[in-house]
Amino acid sequence: MNTLAYIVYLFITFFITVRTGLLFYRNGRVYIVTLLKDDGHLADAINKMLLTGYYLLNLGYAAVMITYWKTIASITGLLTSIAGMTARIMLTLAVIHFMNMAAIYFFSKRNNHHLINHTM
Amino acid sequence: MKTSLNFTAYLIYLPVVIILTWYVAHILFRNSKVFMLDIFNGRTDIAISTNKLFETGFYLLNLGFALTIMEEATDIGSNRNLLEILSAKIGGFSIYLGVMLFFNLYLFFRGKKVAKQKARLAEAVKIIDANR
Repeated sequence: MNTLAYIVYLFITFFITVRTGLLFYRNGRVYIVTLLKDDGHLADAINKMLLTGYYLLNLGYAAVMITYWKTIASITGLLTSIAGMTARIMLTLAVIHFMNMAAIYFFSKRNNHHLINHTM
Repeated sequence: MKTSLNFTAYLIYLPVVIILTWYVAHILFRNSKVFMLDIFNGRTDIAISTNKLFETGFYLLNLGFALTIMEEATDIGSNRNLLEILSAKIGGFSIYLGVMLFFNLYLFFRGKKVAKQKARLAEAVKIIDANR
């Protein structure tokens, strides 16, 4: 029954990782362009690399988590363990995501300070 | 030995919680676009992107939290116990969602205030430069 759990779990986390990865890729591009004051080429390259790194880290993390899986006793345990492990991945993703946004926010504040001093 | 009702509880809990999260996120981030457009001062692309990014993070965080609290360690024996435990979990999660909603609103309002201050500052600088 563990094998079934692994398959369902990997399916769910693959779906979540790929979907959020594409969302971040598409919506984060504006931020990179704005921060680097770029026309798009450098931003596209950086964005692509970030996406690749993101996939590697997250899919790898999800896969490694399987080694910590407890033996499943029943169908209830199956549901519980899949939910718990998926929850851990989602919470990790959320924390990383918000830390990223905070970092971008502070970077842009530092850039803007530079600009405001110029006009004064 | 009668099987415990835990599985039934999970089967009821999961859809309710997912629908609740979807509903709150949908309402919150449909109406936050106005705030975003205001904060980013007309730059539509970055406003919509920020909105989408916050929405994704919101979903991840809240669904993750819902799944974390799903597990019920005690064996649910009767229907009465089932309803009590379900109420406790779903109710608690609703309260948490409400807190998240208000926290997000607070962040949006704060961002709007900062954007207004920056706009006023930029206006003042323009006037000073023009009168120089």
